[in-house]
Amino acid sequence: MVAYILKRVAGSIAILLLIMVVTFLLMNAIPGSPFLTEKSTPEQIALAEAKYGLDKPLYVQLWNYIKNYCVGDLGTSLKMQEGTPVKDIIFHQGKFALSIKLGACALVIAVLIGIPLGCIAAYYRGSWIDGLLRVLTTVGVAVPTFVLAALLLVVFSVNLNWFPTLSGSLPDAKSYVLPVISLSFYYTCYIAKLMRTSMLDAIHQDYIRTAKAKGVKTHILVLKHALRNSLIPVITYLGPVLAGIITGSFVVESTFSIPGLGKYFVQCVLSRDYPVIMATTVVLSALVIFMMLIVDITYKLVDPRITLTAKEE
Amino acid sequence: MKRIIALLLVLCLAVSLFACTTSTPANTGTTTTTDTTSTTTNSGSQSANAGTTDNSGKTDTTETTVAEKFVVNACIASEPETIDPSTISSVDGSTYTQHQFENLMKYQMTNDNPAGDPNMKSTEIVLGQAAGYTVSDDLTVYTFTLRDDIFWSDGVPVKAQDWVYSWQRLVDPATASDYGYFLDNIVLNAYDIYEENTKDKSELGIKALDDKTLEITLEAPCAYFLEMCAFASLVPLRQDVVEGSDNWTDPANIVVNGAYKLTEWVHDSYLKMEKNEKYYDYDNLGPDEIIWWLSDSETAIYSAYQSGEYQFIESFPSDLTETLQASGDCYINPYVGTYYLYLNCSKVTDWRVRAAMVLSVDRENIVDNVTQQNQSPATGFVASGILDSTGADFAFGVSELGAIYNTLSTMYPDADLSTYAGRCELAQQLYQAAVDDGSWDPNTTVVYNFNTSETHKAIAEACGSDWVTVLGLKISLENQEWATYTNGLGEHTFGVARLGWIADYNDPVTYLELLVTGNSYNYGLFSNEAYDAKINSAKAMLAGAERDALLYEAEELLFGEGGFPVCPIYYYTNPYCAQGLTNVAYTTMGYFFFQYAQPAA
Repeated sequence: MVAYILKRVAGSIAILLLIMVVTFLLMNAIPGSPFLTEKSTPEQIALAEAKYGLDKPLYVQLWNYIKNYCVGDLGTSLKMQEGTPVKDIIFHQGKFALSIKLGACALVIAVLIGIPLGCIAAYYRGSWIDGLLRVLTTVGVAVPTFVLAALLLVVFSVNLNWFPTLSGSLPDAKSYVLPVISLSFYYTCYIAKLMRTSMLDAIHQDYIRTAKAKGVKTHILVLKHALRNSLIPVITYLGPVLAGIITGSFVVESTFSIPGLGKYFVQCVLSRDYPVIMATTVVLSALVIFMMLIVDITYKLVDPRITLTAKEE
Repeated sequence: MKRIIALLLVLCLAVSLFACTTSTPANTGTTTTTDTTSTTTNSGSQSANAGTTDNSGKTDTTETTVAEKFVVNACIASEPETIDPSTISSVDGSTYTQHQFENLMKYQMTNDNPAGDPNMKSTEIVLGQAAGYTVSDDLTVYTFTLRDDIFWSDGVPVKAQDWVYSWQRLVDPATASDYGYFLDNIVLNAYDIYEENTKDKSELGIKALDDKTLEITLEAPCAYFLEMCAFASLVPLRQDVVEGSDNWTDPANIVVNGAYKLTEWVHDSYLKMEKNEKYYDYDNLGPDEIIWWLSDSETAIYSAYQSGEYQFIESFPSDLTETLQASGDCYINPYVGTYYLYLNCSKVTDWRVRAAMVLSVDRENIVDNVTQQNQSPATGFVASGILDSTGADFAFGVSELGAIYNTLSTMYPDADLSTYAGRCELAQQLYQAAVDDGSWDPNTTVVYNFNTSETHKAIAEACGSDWVTVLGLKISLENQEWATYTNGLGEHTFGVARLGWIADYNDPVTYLELLVTGNSYNYGLFSNEAYDAKINSAKAMLAGAERDALLYEAEELLFGEGGFPVCPIYYYTNPYCAQGLTNVAYTTMGYFFFQYAQPAA
């Protein structure tokens, strides 16, 4: 297991390097410049680009990025907070922490509600409960986040005044409620749907029939035997979910005025703030890679038949 | 063993998820606390002082303790790229600067109400940090004497040298300021320093004769120079402060000479300013704190306004404008700006086709049914609100028809240009003439570029529809995100492209010089020697009838034979919603001032 983890970590570094190269090439392939405004002249743009080393050949710029990243220097923002170190923007200003806090809460809610809902729907398959849950989850997957967020804001903040309209830096429990619901609703519904299908599949397996024949009680049958095997597809889904929740939190952060990273992840591309694009991409990629590693290890724990390394075969 | 590993993994996951939370520095925690406090405090003071908002018991616990504090909560934009006066280029950045810094001249509140809102006041230009000034006989040397009671927020006296440093910094190409061009051809040597790079910034025509006397030498008399002396990019700056830290605009480092000082900046959340104790008019200032909330979500902004958390907003869903006007929340201020289209002279080469395009746009339809924010249909390129030397609105100085139609009405006296039908008739005639003599191929497709925005898209569709219906022109609408779009503007790859221009100062030159040959904003590549000569002459003349005539003639040249490089659509307006505030001031350049705001009675 340790050898496997070490191997994966080494592989992750290579993947991150590849992501850096691809991101760098892509961001330089799209037209525009961070210094291009309706009032800027070509001379000004050239001067500004020279100031930040953007006039150097691409391979030199890329090498500088890699070199600096190795010593933990993520560069300086060119546009969004001109002159501010990107590391400060992401970490010290609390943007990453805010997005992670929000994302983690949304993920936990999605798992804690989605999985039981899926089990219940599968357990009561064909009943009105199953029908109701199916309608609910289908609606949940279909409703765009910005619609749900706006609806929650107007109803619960403006009209009922139960929650603040400005969640800000999430200072208290109340400020979490609406953003977390908005962010987790889609994933809760999706996980519930996934869980239902997976559970139904498991229930019809031979070992369940055998257990049933042996007189195992239904709730134990579901919770102990079927649940464990039905979790595999859900676990697979969880890795990318966290990244999706963070990068996809743009709308929620904007609607509830939360100064998180999701907003930056989108805006830095639009404003061509190259160092911020690189840094947010690398940080989020590292997060996804880490989550995927955790997911892979969790597989093994949930289903010992799964092999992680060639040796184990 | 398996359980232990499982437990470890769960722990690892939990730690990874919350690791960043624990790495948050202490100041974020403080900020968070302050955030809550300030919001609550405001609501409390609002209910106590203004008594107009419904807080539904949210503030009961704090009302008694903080009722004395008067806090203004305003939202005028999202996170500014910078608040450094030398590098700002946006209206919101300028507004923050106007609250923190004071120039030689300043905007002072008058008793007029620009939008009929009794709580909103107009402004006029008066002496600011200067106690007075003299002008040389040839009107090119201004000597300002500074007030004796002006200090920076750290107690150091404001000196004439601070302006010298700031102005030199602005025109220094190394600063790469968007407004580096602002002093071109106005202050001595500015052009050579910034554009030509042939002189050193120390040769700029500004010098401190002593600590309290500032001498500014101009290239030629300038009719609007005093107004420029109130401009945000030209405020004084302290060299030791600007160069003393990596980020001098950080609340911990910033030193200001204006009424308010930045004390807290939670990026992407809010900027908090408090009264500057060293400001000479400290005793008469209004709010104890001004909190500028930073948001770009109309839904979030409007919801916060509805719930009483914001007292002033500039952004809200446009389809609510009429309802909000009816409820007395929304007023529409005049705003000196023109929304216009560049018609690329190198792509649409025949001026008659360009004229036909300009004539066949139904501007009334666009402002009534598309934008719906009480804008006025444009009748010229220079925005309504820019005045000539007699104080008349330049947009209507020559005739009620406006500059777009004046020259054509002389060339085609039979055409009725006062109605849309009459304009369409002339448009068809001009277009057909260009097609008939072979100078325009009717199968040519004109590419109309616009940057991503529902409004720009709707305007593009309306214009495209008019051109197809009236002229039979082939149009291709292409949406681009902003950076790609501005790149295309500079490379002149478009046939038609939109832009808006907000005046930097109240003089027609702020618009007309954009279309001079070689000007970097002349994206449509218009070139007319007579036009260039008139603008250049007018720039070197003092305000008066002769100068007015030159500028009027120049604008008419834009819309005569060989012209039509732009298609003005409408003049901007500036809608806002305010509650519980009075004595808010406004200048038609788009800046709101809260320095002397008071809770509404």
